Amino acid sequence: MSTPKEQPEAAGKRPRAAQKPAASVNMDELRELIGLLRDNGLAELELENEGFRVRLRRESDRAESSHASAPHHDPAPAQTPAPAPAPAASGPAHPGTQASTAAAQDQDLHIIQSPIVGTFYRSPSPTADAFVKIGSNVEPDTVVCIIEAMKLMNEIQAEMSGEVVKIYVENGQPVEYGQPLFGLQS
Amino acid sequence: MAFNPRKFKKILIANRGEIACRIIWTCKEMGIKTVAVHSDVDRDSLHVRFADEAACIGPAPSAQSYLNIPAIISTAEIFNVDAIHPGYGFLAESAYFAEICEACNIKFIGPSANVIRLMGDKIEARRAMHEAGLPIVPGSPGEVTSEEEALGLAREIGYPIIVKASAGGGGRGMRIVRSEGELGKALDTASTEAAAAFNDGSVYIEKYIEQPRHIEIQVLADEFGECIHLGERECSIQRRHQKLMEEAPSTVLTPEQRKTMGDAAVAACKKLGYSSAGTCEFLLDKHGAFYFMEMNTRIQVEHPVTEMVTLADIVRNQIRIAEGEPLNYNQDDLLIVGHAIECRINAENPETFAPSPGTITAFNLPGGPGVRVDTFVYSGYQVTPFYDSLIAKLIVHARTRELAIARMKRALDVMVVEGIKTTIPLHQKIMDDPRFRAGDIGTDFMEYFLARNGKKAVSA
Repeated sequence: MSTPKEQPEAAGKRPRAAQKPAASVNMDELRELIGLLRDNGLAELELENEGFRVRLRRESDRAESSHASAPHHDPAPAQTPAPAPAPAASGPAHPGTQASTAAAQDQDLHIIQSPIVGTFYRSPSPTADAFVKIGSNVEPDTVVCIIEAMKLMNEIQAEMSGEVVKIYVENGQPVEYGQPLFGLQS
Repeated sequence: MAFNPRKFKKILIANRGEIACRIIWTCKEMGIKTVAVHSDVDRDSLHVRFADEAACIGPAPSAQSYLNIPAIISTAEIFNVDAIHPGYGFLAESAYFAEICEACNIKFIGPSANVIRLMGDKIEARRAMHEAGLPIVPGSPGEVTSEEEALGLAREIGYPIIVKASAGGGGRGMRIVRSEGELGKALDTASTEAAAAFNDGSVYIEKYIEQPRHIEIQVLADEFGECIHLGERECSIQRRHQKLMEEAPSTVLTPEQRKTMGDAAVAACKKLGYSSAGTCEFLLDKHGAFYFMEMNTRIQVEHPVTEMVTLADIVRNQIRIAEGEPLNYNQDDLLIVGHAIECRINAENPETFAPSPGTITAFNLPGGPGVRVDTFVYSGYQVTPFYDSLIAKLIVHARTRELAIARMKRALDVMVVEGIKTTIPLHQKIMDDPRFRAGDIGTDFMEYFLARNGKKAVSA
């Protein structure tokens, strides 16, 4: 399943006062949203309401991924890293900060790192299936993703074998050299 | 105000170290966002910390990171920058890189690729600048085959001359000739020596420059053909062609000479169609004659001494020129106030000059009146062995040279860098040297200095 770009509603940009002042989402509404996500073949959906935000993500076969978060826990937007986020003290916006932090907790996994700086794509074209998904078994020569650098599509091979259990970056996200992409269990 | 289509919002700095920080400081003052690129071992460098955005572009070896053009352009595209500042070294004088930036619609902050290419070929550069009116060291066009030919040429050039081996190096096959009577014998011995040393007896002759000084002229040129100079820098204190210390103004240049050299450099740059900041390097002999050596088409390490005495921000000018702005002052506005000295603080053993990487365990920056430090390190920083050894530049400015020397001495005294060896003790000794204090320096200074002080030169 391909992962289209973020929804037009891509929260965060919207002025907060523009929404009706409902303070929370009930379970029925949540189910409705999940249905919307599934029925329309969407991979991700994000909705913000006054003081509340929900983000749903479907990783094909993965049961993972529906987490609600407070408005200010903004995951780095895919295209433009924010000018001054504050990941521990006052460092600059690094494309890889989040993934590196996530991967650091997975010390038992083999990590496939990005060999170049560029834009990460999970599938060979926007309409094609992803190269690998959670549960895929890969060999060293299996192509796991594409990283676009200077308009060139570079196919990245796993260079190790195992089962894909973690995917640290999202489709279309910029990645830097050495950034964790996938976690494998051998 | 005219509409300017090239106002920069964001600049990528394709460099590391103190110069990357230096560029960030000016960008901050101009309200321009910065993107740092870095190798994986430079993650903790200050240029990464103080840029607005940063990306790791490769492993430690420069070829895979700071010289990795696809990675740098890719980062520029991801972060959507308007321009790239190349700093010095790495890709700063790569015509190829400048062309790629242009092809990708990213402004390269520097002169055009054609000018970079021309000045990059040192022989072609001398020919072009000679045509553009700059004097070059006169000599034979090629090998000298007979004594008659040599005598004729030497008469034209004027004594003293030097006979050099075509295949030469290391002083072998070299003879200085002060009068016509010595020439025949010198040709023979130089040729024999060259044949023995290099298996090639061919020799050529050149004007011998007595007690040469390395004097360079800083120029600024916009894209509309306007060009000015910012006076000279004296860079004679070098070891193996590596500058150790620089000052401005020079102790020997009279205002008339400054004008002559400056005007010549400006005229040549105008003929060349030069734009951006640049530096013409000259040899100045003891009689006041000067000869063009080469042109650096980039910002230079020692640019701060010029900034101190002229109050110009050279990086800011580079950016404004690249934005398509005209120079907003002319030659008559040039002001040279006081005297500035820069000491390059390298992570090196001050006696053997061997690199000294390691972790900086304590770091104290000097401050107070007239002191500037350009650096990217701090206490706890690990100096890696992968790049050049420059960790900081200590610059002072005072009303006179004597006061500047006193100021530099007290600044060096309180500049503490522990955990690694640095060239601080060497600079302290140079500040006390009688020849240096008298301003009696030339490119042979370090040879004299190390011979005079021997091994004990810098026992700190």
